[in-house]
Amino acid sequence: MPKRDAQLTDLVDLGARRGAAYADARRVEREYEAISVRDGEVESVTRSGDRGIGFRVLHRGAWGFAATDRTDDMSLRSVVDEAFARAEAAASTRAAPVALAPVAPQRGEYRTTLVRDPFTVPPAERITLLRAADANLKGPHAVSRRGSVAAYRTRKHLVTSEGTDVRQEIVESGAGLSVTAVMAGAKPAQRYDSRLVRQAGWEFIEQLDLVRRAARYRDDAEAMLDAPLAAERPTTLVFAPEFLALLVHESCGHPTEADRVLEHEVAFAGTTFMWPQDRGRLRYGSEHVSMTADATVPGGMGTFGWDDDGVPAMRTKLIDRGTFVGYLTSRETAAALDVPVAIGSARAEGWQHFPIVRMVNVSLDPGTQRYDALLRGVDDGLLLEAPASYSLDDKRQNFHFSTQSARVIRNGALEGYARGVSFQSLTPAFWGRCDGVADDWELHGFLSCAKGEPLQLMRVGHGAAHARFRDVPIEVRG
Amino acid sequence: MLAPLQGALREVKADEAELWVHRRRSAITRYAKNEIHQNAVADETCVQARVVIGKAVGIASANSLEPADLRRLVADALAAARASAPNADWPGFAEPAPMSEPKAYDAETARADARSQADAVKRITATAKERGFRAAGTHQIELTEDALANTNGAAAYAPSTMAYLRALVASDTGTGWAEDLGWSARSLDPSDVAARAIEKAALDRDRTQLAPGDYEAVFEELAVAEVLRFMALTGLTGQTLKDGRSFMKDKFGQPVTGPRFSLWDDALDARTLAIPFDPEGTPKQRIALVEGGVAKGVVHDRQSARWFDTRSTGHADDPRRSSVGGHAGNLTMAGGDAKREQLIGATQRGVLITRFHYTNTPDPKRATMTGTTRDGTFLIEGGRITRALANVRYTMSALDLFSGLELLGPQRLARDWWSSNGMGRVVCLCPPIKVARATITGSSPL
Repeated sequence: MPKRDAQLTDLVDLGARRGAAYADARRVEREYEAISVRDGEVESVTRSGDRGIGFRVLHRGAWGFAATDRTDDMSLRSVVDEAFARAEAAASTRAAPVALAPVAPQRGEYRTTLVRDPFTVPPAERITLLRAADANLKGPHAVSRRGSVAAYRTRKHLVTSEGTDVRQEIVESGAGLSVTAVMAGAKPAQRYDSRLVRQAGWEFIEQLDLVRRAARYRDDAEAMLDAPLAAERPTTLVFAPEFLALLVHESCGHPTEADRVLEHEVAFAGTTFMWPQDRGRLRYGSEHVSMTADATVPGGMGTFGWDDDGVPAMRTKLIDRGTFVGYLTSRETAAALDVPVAIGSARAEGWQHFPIVRMVNVSLDPGTQRYDALLRGVDDGLLLEAPASYSLDDKRQNFHFSTQSARVIRNGALEGYARGVSFQSLTPAFWGRCDGVADDWELHGFLSCAKGEPLQLMRVGHGAAHARFRDVPIEVRG
Repeated sequence: MLAPLQGALREVKADEAELWVHRRRSAITRYAKNEIHQNAVADETCVQARVVIGKAVGIASANSLEPADLRRLVADALAAARASAPNADWPGFAEPAPMSEPKAYDAETARADARSQADAVKRITATAKERGFRAAGTHQIELTEDALANTNGAAAYAPSTMAYLRALVASDTGTGWAEDLGWSARSLDPSDVAARAIEKAALDRDRTQLAPGDYEAVFEELAVAEVLRFMALTGLTGQTLKDGRSFMKDKFGQPVTGPRFSLWDDALDARTLAIPFDPEGTPKQRIALVEGGVAKGVVHDRQSARWFDTRSTGHADDPRRSSVGGHAGNLTMAGGDAKREQLIGATQRGVLITRFHYTNTPDPKRATMTGTTRDGTFLIEGGRITRALANVRYTMSALDLFSGLELLGPQRLARDWWSSNGMGRVVCLCPPIKVARATITGSSPL
């Protein structure tokens, strides 16, 4: 049973007394600590934190939200007044009141399972690791190298007028490496990874083996400098899980967000090509393609005890053997679409943000064959390991990706590199070309999925395995 | 706001120390399908301490200006500095310097309330409803206060306001977009925004697809701002120059675009959204970037100025969002006097682009941008708009695009898709343009 928070309880009680149909108060405290090494030298040691309270009311059929980092009584009374004023202003435009799908009141606590708290790792130990990795990023043409490790802690307490009272403490650990190689007469080559992050302790950083990974990034960047241009023709592409994690995020995660269906995000993030009448009918991909939203995956960046509507963590299918079947929803969007709450996806970045529909962990389900068997099925193709540039339309239907490094596949084996590779496609056409997913499923995490106004950067998780796509038209730019 | 900072600095036991504060009151009204669906206000503070021991730098940030919290913050930064290692290139903190007065602030805008924001939205939605259309968008008011003090005696404070109103009007067949942006709510005209968005939405019917190829094109201001953003990020900073990634490298004094293109960074222009100093406390300067198509300069913060043995131009970026190396965030592109109908009239067969969505750069060294258009893409034939187009994918080097500049209209305040949605920090004063060639590489479905 969470310890009572008098300020939150008082806010919610006050909201109910002033006539709100629903009220919630959310206290959030965030801590962040990062060390960055650039070209072998410590670039920065950074610590940051913030805390505050967000207060949300559903009043006269409309939402009002106010938030403050000043938690004295006068500031909190002002927050209540402002939330009601904003609800009343919004209500003057509503034809129908906002409704919430029912959820039983929740009580409890959630904590990240971890072995070693990353905040307790001595800075000297972190710097030693980063310097060792930096030594391996060095190469004959590497002009710029950077490595970093970071620790994140979020403490959150949600109290609602429906009786929900839940506390969560989420700890995340992350690392990033990047190297830029430059050679006269060649285009600069960058190899980087900013998505090495997990809801876990320092043990995750140790598992990453940054030192060995740095050598691989250096080798990739050096090799890409004078690699031959790929041939511009339709070819077989095999994607590494890291690359597919982003493709799943952009082309499945976003278009299944229910608030896009309701046009809440049309002016910024856009809408979707996956409409309610398409559920159970729209051919999204081949029969090898199934995707799942799961807020319970151990270590996932989209894993939690409850979302910011107080909905407990759940799991639901979005794509089932190539067919679109489900949405990511909040209580409001589930009610508006008249669907049951199959997944709670209402999430706010911080205390100052209104909860909106966000991804949790949205993953490509693993296949059954081994990666080497998948590769053996390629006579002539490319392995794309990590994305570089990416661009998508407002319906998530038309996309363009380029790659940091491309490996040549010949007769089922990797041999050398090719450069200049990018591809554009329509989403169902792309996933329709998938003819195999391997069983080497792994989890990736993103720190900063951008959505909402004011902007909210959300942590989300994505699992994927190597997968093979046939006859993909590629573009080649020298 | 400076007093608590200076008080905290007096107690610091370090070689150098700096406190930077950014406070924001953000009131945002979001609407969709002619109804307000989110209506939020938040007061937030960010205070960052940088403390230096030897040349080792520690950084800490928090969100309280209470004296005890500031003492704790400085202690955290001090601990971080002790854990850090010397930066041989450490440039030191800014010295006191004369500052211009802040210009982008309006007290009446700072006091705007929820009702006034809803009233502006209702003027748009009412007009849209009359036409049987759906309107969506945002009304945003921000009051920000920035302050900086350091142990060299530099001290600066500036308030600023921002008012933004945008409308996406949708019919059953298409969409249209319009927006107003300024530092005063008086610069927002809801009726005009509604009229412009509705005009485009009404035109957007019976779409056809455009085949890939090179076309003449009219880029409206938002589309131009999108291209300028990628020039700034990929080539106009000390960091990109140092890394060899900039298209300006080894090009100073030489043409990089056609002669009609001139670009500078000027936060002191009274029309733009800016304050007169950067987060390091350096006064912002007007910097010529490209003049008559010839490469002239890049912007620097204190670190990149040190790398190039020059002085900071006042272009340190928001430290919460980026690393060091400079940031060109107040771009001004030279304009002209061509009216919109002249830009369209000069186009024999081409495409009109209102704005882009989720752009990126597959070839940073050439400032190449790719992105799909949205909310107003039209075919121009014989000097007039003849058809609505399905959204197209554009992929082209900014340098090549601006080599084909033929006509320029008057400048207007505009932001790219990233910056207008909080993911970027570039504000442009830029014109609509007519270019000889824009490369279209694909089309979205009808």
